[in-house]
Amino acid sequence: MTLSRDEAASTLRDISKTERRSSELFGYRFGAPHLFLWGAIWMVAYGAGYYRPHWTLVWPVLAIAGSIGSFLIGWRMKTGRANAFGWRFGGTFLSVVLFIGALFAIMPPHTDAQVAAFFPILVALFYLLIGVWTGGSRMIVLGLAMGALTLYGFFNLAPYFALWMAVVGGGGLILGGFWLRHA
Amino acid sequence: MDQPNAIIHQPVRLKIMAALRALPQGEQLEFVRLKAIVGTTEGNLGAHITTLEEAGYVAVEKDFVGKRPRTRVALTKEGRRAFEDYVSDLRAIIDATRTE
Repeated sequence: MTLSRDEAASTLRDISKTERRSSELFGYRFGAPHLFLWGAIWMVAYGAGYYRPHWTLVWPVLAIAGSIGSFLIGWRMKTGRANAFGWRFGGTFLSVVLFIGALFAIMPPHTDAQVAAFFPILVALFYLLIGVWTGGSRMIVLGLAMGALTLYGFFNLAPYFALWMAVVGGGGLILGGFWLRHA
Repeated sequence: MDQPNAIIHQPVRLKIMAALRALPQGEQLEFVRLKAIVGTTEGNLGAHITTLEEAGYVAVEKDFVGKRPRTRVALTKEGRRAFEDYVSDLRAIIDATRTE
C-alpha cells in the first residue's frame, strides 16, 4: 500500500484534530475540580457578604484556603504537563497579585461592590483567555457567561449584588465544573 | 517511505493513538472518554485497543471505582516512538512530493 501526498496530508489533519480534542478534554478534566472548589467558596463568601457584612475576614480566609485547596488538587492530579508548567502557574499567580496591588494603588475602588465585581470579571477574563489559547470552547462560554452575569448584577441588582454573586456566580462555577467534567 | 505502519494507519487505531499522544507521558485515558473522542462503538474500540495492546503500543489497566468497572488506556514508550515515526513518515511523503 502506498500513500499519496493528499492522503498523507489528510491523515495529518485527522491526527491534529484528534489531538486537539483530546487535549481540550484533558484540560477540562483538570479544571473541573477547581471550579467546584471556587464555586463553593464564592457561595459562602458572597453569601456571608450579604447576610453578615461585618464578617470582614471571610474573604481573605477563604481566599487563602482556596489557594491551598487548588494547590493540593493540582498536586493530586499531578501530571508531566502540570510539572512542566508548575513554575509558570506560580509565576502567573504572583504577577496577578502584583498587578492587582498596583492597579488598586493607582485606581483605588470606592465601594465594596466594585471590589466584589472586579474579581469575578478578572476570573472571567482568565477563562476567556484560556479558552482562546487552548481552543476550549466551553471555557470561552464560561468566561463570557460569568462576565455578563457579573456586569448585569452590578448595574441592575446593586442592593442584592452579593447575594446574586453567591447564587449565580458560585452556583455557575459549580455547574460549569459539572459541564466540563461531562464534556 | 510510502508504506505506513499498518497497525497505526487504520482510522480508528490512528485516532486512539493520536488521542493518547496528546496527553502528558504516562497519563491514562478512560475508555468512555476515548470512545467519545474516537466516535465509535464500544465493541469496535475494544477490538482496536486489543490490537494496539498486542503490538505493545498501548497499556490497558482495569480496576473498579466503587462497584463500577473502569478501563484506562495509556500510550507505551514503544507506542509513542512508533507513532512519532509514523507522523515523520507522513511528513516525509509530503516533503518528497513537494521537492519533486
